[in-house]
Amino acid sequence: MNSKAPFQALTRAELSGLVDDRASEGVFRINRRVFTDERIFDLEMKHLFESGWVFLGLTSQLPNRHDFFAARIGRVPVLVTRGADDELHAFVNSCPHKGARVCQLQKGNTRVHVCPYHSWSFDSSGRNMAIKDRSGGHYAAAFDRDSHDLPTVARLGNYRGFLFASLSPDVPEIEDYLGEAARLLDIIVDQSPQGIELVPGTVTFTFDANWKLQLENCSDQYHFTSVHPSYLTLLDRRAEEQWSEATRNVFDPNSDRDAGEALGGSYTFRNGHVLNWRRAGAPDALPLFEKNDELTERVGAAKRDWMLRSRNLTIFPNVQFADNASSQLRIIQPISVNRTEMRTFCIAPIGESAEARRVRIRQYEDFFNPSGLATPDDAVVYEACQEGFGAERMPWLQGYSRGLGSEYGKSNIHAEEIGMTPTHSALGDPTLGDETIFHAYYRTWLERLSNALPEAVSS
Amino acid sequence: MSVFSQSVAERIIHSEGMFLDQRRWEDWLSLYAEDAVYWVPAWKDENEPTSDPDRELSLIYYAGRAGLADRVWRLNSGLSVASTPLRRTTHMTSGILVEASDGEAKAFAAFTVHCFDPKRRTAHTFFGRYDYQFGLRDGDWKITRKVTILANDQIPSVADFYLL
Repeated sequence: MNSKAPFQALTRAELSGLVDDRASEGVFRINRRVFTDERIFDLEMKHLFESGWVFLGLTSQLPNRHDFFAARIGRVPVLVTRGADDELHAFVNSCPHKGARVCQLQKGNTRVHVCPYHSWSFDSSGRNMAIKDRSGGHYAAAFDRDSHDLPTVARLGNYRGFLFASLSPDVPEIEDYLGEAARLLDIIVDQSPQGIELVPGTVTFTFDANWKLQLENCSDQYHFTSVHPSYLTLLDRRAEEQWSEATRNVFDPNSDRDAGEALGGSYTFRNGHVLNWRRAGAPDALPLFEKNDELTERVGAAKRDWMLRSRNLTIFPNVQFADNASSQLRIIQPISVNRTEMRTFCIAPIGESAEARRVRIRQYEDFFNPSGLATPDDAVVYEACQEGFGAERMPWLQGYSRGLGSEYGKSNIHAEEIGMTPTHSALGDPTLGDETIFHAYYRTWLERLSNALPEAVSS
Repeated sequence: MSVFSQSVAERIIHSEGMFLDQRRWEDWLSLYAEDAVYWVPAWKDENEPTSDPDRELSLIYYAGRAGLADRVWRLNSGLSVASTPLRRTTHMTSGILVEASDGEAKAFAAFTVHCFDPKRRTAHTFFGRYDYQFGLRDGDWKITRKVTILANDQIPSVADFYLL
């Protein structure tokens, strides 16, 4: 029973034994060890984050030559830039000399990045410009044959301004990796003819729990009324008091929350991308609603309707777009098996009116900030889970079962409206709280980690 | 009472910390004018907090005491797991400097708030600076504007008005 000893490598059989996937029999269970085993965390960093596509940021963060921002790919610090050539670049932000982080800032604009340790310098594309006192340094000829540049990422993918990178060259094209989930990035970026931008101001928070709790929670409709009753009740109070500065949003209690037939559901896609959505109760409370007519004209009614629905999109493994109470871009940065950092941004269509932007920001602070009225409750619940995961004597979690008793098929009319072909769908009223959506995460997770492991470990 | 002074500012600022530590929420709210602005900017980068709450993100922004009353309600509602149990706090405010001229009553202060989470047995300290403005309301000085610059803005799970 000492299989958790950290010095003993996991086998493929051990790993696949943690995902009890018998969906055709109505069973899907996850062993809580996937959230607590440091060896699994190490595998995730190497084989999910540091060997495949991860999200870095938006191209609109780099409008000018020599602009840069810092990011991380798993445990690897990277710098994303627009070079002198006006092309986008991403390279490892670690000096080849002694390994120091070269650029010390989160963002800025500079032609030259100088390592703080021994002043090796690099241009804004990561190419080595100078090695201090090179001629006096009596380097051997072998040194001159090496590259002294900051190593570029193996692949840089730009899907309509959403910037992704992979440290491994052995990945499909970004369009192929995103697959049909790209239709949902279209729904975000097409909200303005000029695309989208980050509202100035970065909010960073941590929670003492595994990163996959955030991955799941964004796609978890079931928790909404249990974790956020203080928020929902506050909306009711504000509606009654008609406080003029109150922040009304799509969850407005005076709206027709339950009208219509299809109220929401979920879609899953290849490579672990997922969406859960619901019909917005009060679409007129959305800042985007001012563009209703323009959108109908430019993108058509079907796409406009999708823009006005509440959508939570995950592009596996590290980015989530939550477009409901307001609009958020979240980057998940795992720190250790039981600690995670979230870098969060308000994302907005370029060129919206000043009043729409103001309202969007107020709605955002209300719901999404760790200093707001909803997100702290999520983060604290993740920590409660991580503590509860200590109960290894009852290893199997039952939170992947809702929806397993229904036959939904691969697609449905709402996906077809925008020509989107998911691999699985679910549809129902808000009490459905579909949990089959998580299966896509763990199938991708298991496949990618298993492929990296030996069949068995010989002693 | 109507002449603004160092001692008026100190009394209000120290009372605010004490009311929050003692969970005297109504007393705390009564320090604020009804139209008070309560603002905790976010940071644009390493050096600059956001400066325009309508075009840039804040951690908290309310134009009106009613927003603060909402948050007090939430703490007491029993409906927020992030507020159950409440953290125990100690507000330390010092270096209070007063600036008073015609029609203007301002004060600047440094703060640390020590927070203990009895659930997880962990402690955290938030720190930064407060900028206050005061106005006379029915003969009493009330806070009309408070800007809290939070220096350590990597937030461990929860930040809230009573922790700042």
